Amino acid sequence: MGRALKELTKGLWRELPPFRIVLGLCPTLAVTTSAKNGLGMGAAVIFVLVVSNFLVALLRKIIPSKVRIACFIVIAATVVVTVELLMQAYAYPLYLELGIFVPLIVVNCIILGRAEAFASKNPVFLSVLDGLGMGLGFTLSLTFLGGLREVLGAGTIFGHAVPWEAFEPMSILVKAPGAFICLGLILAGMNAYNRWTARRGDSDAPKALEAINSCSSCGLCKLSGRD
Amino acid sequence: MVTTSVLLVFGLSLSAALLLAAASRIFAVREDPRVQDVEAILPGANCGGCGYPGCAAAAAAVVAGEAPPEVCVAGGMDIAASVARVMGLAVAYREPRVASLICSGGDRARQMFAYEGLRDCRAEAMLYGGEKTCGLGCLGMGSCVRACPFGAVSLGEGGLPIVNKALCRSCGKCAEVCPTGAIRITSFSASLLHVNKLDECLAPCMQKCPVQLDVRTFIQQVKGGDYRGALLTLKNRNPLPATVGRVCPHPCEDICRRKLVDEGVAINTLERFVADWEMHSGQRVPIHCGPDTGIKIAIVGGGPSGLACAYFLRRLGHHPVIFESRAEAGGLLRYAIPEFRLPRHVLDWEVQGILDLGVELKTYMTLGREFGLADLEAQDFKAVYLATGAWKTPPLNIPGGDARKLMGGVEFLTGIGSQWSSLRDQCVVIIGDTNTALDCARATARMGARRTVVLSPHIQRKMAANKEEIERAKEIGAEVLFQTLPVSIVSGSSGQTNVWYQACRYEDEAKAGGAILPLPGTDGLVENVDLIIAATDRRPDLSAFQARSGLADLALNPKGVLTCDELTMQTNLPHVFAGGEVRRGRSIVMEAVADGRRAARSIHLFVTTGAVPRPQEPQLKVIPESILKDMRVKYSIPRVVAPEIPVDVRRQNFTMEVRRGIPERDGVKEASRCLRCGLTCFDAEAGFEFAGDRDVKPHAGPRKENGNA
Amino acid sequence: MDYFLLVISAVFINNIVLVQYLGTCPFLGTSKSTDVALGMGGAVIFVIGMSVALTWPIQKAILEPFGLGYLQTIVFILVIASLVQFVEMFLKKLLPPLYRALGLYLPLITTNCAVLGSAILVQKNGYGLAKSVVFGLATGVGFTLALVIISSIRERFDISPIPQVFRGVPIALITAGLMSLAFLAFKGMAS
Repeated sequence: MGRALKELTKGLWRELPPFRIVLGLCPTLAVTTSAKNGLGMGAAVIFVLVVSNFLVALLRKIIPSKVRIACFIVIAATVVVTVELLMQAYAYPLYLELGIFVPLIVVNCIILGRAEAFASKNPVFLSVLDGLGMGLGFTLSLTFLGGLREVLGAGTIFGHAVPWEAFEPMSILVKAPGAFICLGLILAGMNAYNRWTARRGDSDAPKALEAINSCSSCGLCKLSGRD
Repeated sequence: MVTTSVLLVFGLSLSAALLLAAASRIFAVREDPRVQDVEAILPGANCGGCGYPGCAAAAAAVVAGEAPPEVCVAGGMDIAASVARVMGLAVAYREPRVASLICSGGDRARQMFAYEGLRDCRAEAMLYGGEKTCGLGCLGMGSCVRACPFGAVSLGEGGLPIVNKALCRSCGKCAEVCPTGAIRITSFSASLLHVNKLDECLAPCMQKCPVQLDVRTFIQQVKGGDYRGALLTLKNRNPLPATVGRVCPHPCEDICRRKLVDEGVAINTLERFVADWEMHSGQRVPIHCGPDTGIKIAIVGGGPSGLACAYFLRRLGHHPVIFESRAEAGGLLRYAIPEFRLPRHVLDWEVQGILDLGVELKTYMTLGREFGLADLEAQDFKAVYLATGAWKTPPLNIPGGDARKLMGGVEFLTGIGSQWSSLRDQCVVIIGDTNTALDCARATARMGARRTVVLSPHIQRKMAANKEEIERAKEIGAEVLFQTLPVSIVSGSSGQTNVWYQACRYEDEAKAGGAILPLPGTDGLVENVDLIIAATDRRPDLSAFQARSGLADLALNPKGVLTCDELTMQTNLPHVFAGGEVRRGRSIVMEAVADGRRAARSIHLFVTTGAVPRPQEPQLKVIPESILKDMRVKYSIPRVVAPEIPVDVRRQNFTMEVRRGIPERDGVKEASRCLRCGLTCFDAEAGFEFAGDRDVKPHAGPRKENGNA
Repeated sequence: MDYFLLVISAVFINNIVLVQYLGTCPFLGTSKSTDVALGMGGAVIFVIGMSVALTWPIQKAILEPFGLGYLQTIVFILVIASLVQFVEMFLKKLLPPLYRALGLYLPLITTNCAVLGSAILVQKNGYGLAKSVVFGLATGVGFTLALVIISSIRERFDISPIPQVFRGVPIALITAGLMSLAFLAFKGMAS
């Protein structure tokens, strides 16, 4: 049971995506113009991640390893289409807001990355927990980043105006440059935190320092680890 | 609707699958499955240390046969063994390489300007090559520290990086980013065989030393009490430190920068001090040798050059066999240098140390008599090093030069004790200015000769012999007649022999140079001579190099010595190398050792790669910019004087060494005189540890004060 | 003129990475050296062009007539994945030099959202086939341009005094932010 708890919680802090393992940057940057969008995107990703991890783990013994990536993609695409249809039915305004980034969840490396790195090697239950934990972490991160950009860039949070009269929002932050810069600053803060814990001798965190500085955590591409 | 979509996706997937299946058949490229196996074994760090772009490329190269299984430098022998298992190959040993810093300057180096830009060496180097004047030193901005992916480099005190050899994986990143080349990657064998280059930080003494002894390092180790380290430093260049520490004319001390302040550091005495420390400890410091290669190499001649060559080849893991024509190895060191200068037990200790490493010695084996080149080839020797030395005294071209009482210097010295031991009441004339001549003079005086006359064509300063030798010969009573030439040897019918000589002068009297011209009408006579020893010179005896030895094809130059490349020692037969006095004629021990080491380098390259490239930009002459005219040093410390036994004790003793060793405190104090020079930098405060001693005085400053300096 | 505007718009005004946030992962992952950036850019131009040319007819000939528009995502990604795989095998066999130059980057492209993104975008924008292909190629060029620019900047990071915590991805992101700011200016000029 301890193992299950570990798999669930690792995504929340120890391997928090995308801040600690840099996965799935496109939606992170694109849809975090507001906290609500971040939350919505995160919810969609949780769903896709849990279901695809479930399916991959279920089928992991059947899928031949040569074509496994293609199979993972098909599974993910199927789940994404489901999500698309669900969103069209029940959350159409959000669907419009997220636009092209809903179908693009297919190629979000967090889905394939978890399928390849975890679900294809672990039993169903743990894989689902892994997906859930990672998805929750991703949602939290996106909501946080979206909230930050929304507060600073538009002066609102979840659509409500911040109760601070004199605040002049910096509208650049809800545009593309703001996305890059905010994420860069958050990652730098993460680095600083990691260095601080490493200096304190906390053995839990330091590994993430490496991960932040490379795309090796995705594990898919041959370039991983290449400098 | 559902049916169409299911059908569509099914159909599309099926067609895509079929297409890809067909394509994989049509476009199949045969790929060796071992590539993946090898790649899985490699560490996957993609450090690039092997020279391939990443582990995958290295794996492909291994399988393609372009790279050996031990391609991965970072992985070490375990990984090489695993790769070799996959490939079904035998694994060869791949030497680990480590980063090392050649610069010792750091903060003490003189600066052209104070750099205050980006804290990065490459950025600094763009500005006139950096702030340091020498242009090849470490800039100390720590680019290598940041470049090292393994955290093996750190910036230490004094502004120089420190390499943690245990962490270094030899990827070469540090050397790549270093703009001055101060940090480089080197292996044990490469550093053992390294030939100093012009772009290196070499103190004047290190430039002058024929074997390129790392004088700076070993003296610092003595100063720090690390005698073991000092000995190992010495033995990386010179396998015979105790011998060389006794007989070397030490040109290094004459060029020492400390001469600008007081006297040169007694480098030779310190070398002997370190070697004696090992000998008196009774226990040998273990010498590291590379793993066995099983390659046999024949070395003809067991003198200093042959011993040195064998020693270095053995340390590289080869299997040298020395063919010595006499009873024991040591060559002229054993047979021509008398015991009061070089005791036999010292030589035995050193020779035994070399043989103990695994060098095989075959005595009574003369080239051209017991064996020839063809025999060596038949016994699977991959290369031959000829170091037979120069033993023959050239004939004196004077009337009576064939007199019965005339003898060669080496011949005389060799026979002492076995063929003759007493010259009581005899008169001996020694012709020549060489060390051999003076050795003969010192020996005859000890053997009771009534009168010993040395005829030297040179003034004392210009004689070929060591300064100490001449002084000792005079001290013991030999008459050294400078600027004299023998004219004739006249043997009377009554058995009496007289030697006529004539004064001579230099062609260029002021510089004491040019040809030596006899001065007619200044004849002198030594009457009633019992023994005449000719020690004018020594020449190699090449009579053995005839058809029977298989070496008749070797090229000789008109002077009667072998010709070979003076940097690689390779002769016109590619697998035959020659060095020492057989190619130089008479010279000093250090030159013989230097030839031995160079030959070892060439032979190592020859037997491992098949080619012998000449070293690039070797430092052969003193680099002019390293000669300082002016220097500020804080303390003036008197040079150590090695104790000597009194003259009348010397007369009674043939085997007691004249010059003794120095006590430990004197050694450390002498070492503290060393300025730890680089090409241009030096320690101005050297010797402050002994500033409280009564004989240490603050130095007044440079002799010539510059106007505005 | 139409095409000219289309190209300018796809390369500069609506730069796929810096304005539309697509393909950010490879943008950060393969931008450490200019050589790698060029290789990746070349492969992306090639694959986007091919995939747009392939998915357009499928959309028009199969999906729309049968009312299966909702299957767009799954069909497109299938086609792109197969295409990339096919191209890889094709190049490996028939054009080994090109394979050596681009091969390393091809598998990466399957999960490059710039490819799927532009395939979907051309449908959204309702371009014709020729226009779609031109748009696809121009998008690839825009990606390459952004990649080459940032990689040449990142090459200089090695010798720049960057605070330790900003080294690596954070500084790259901030640089990308500043570049994005510059590209936003094109948008300002266009409007």
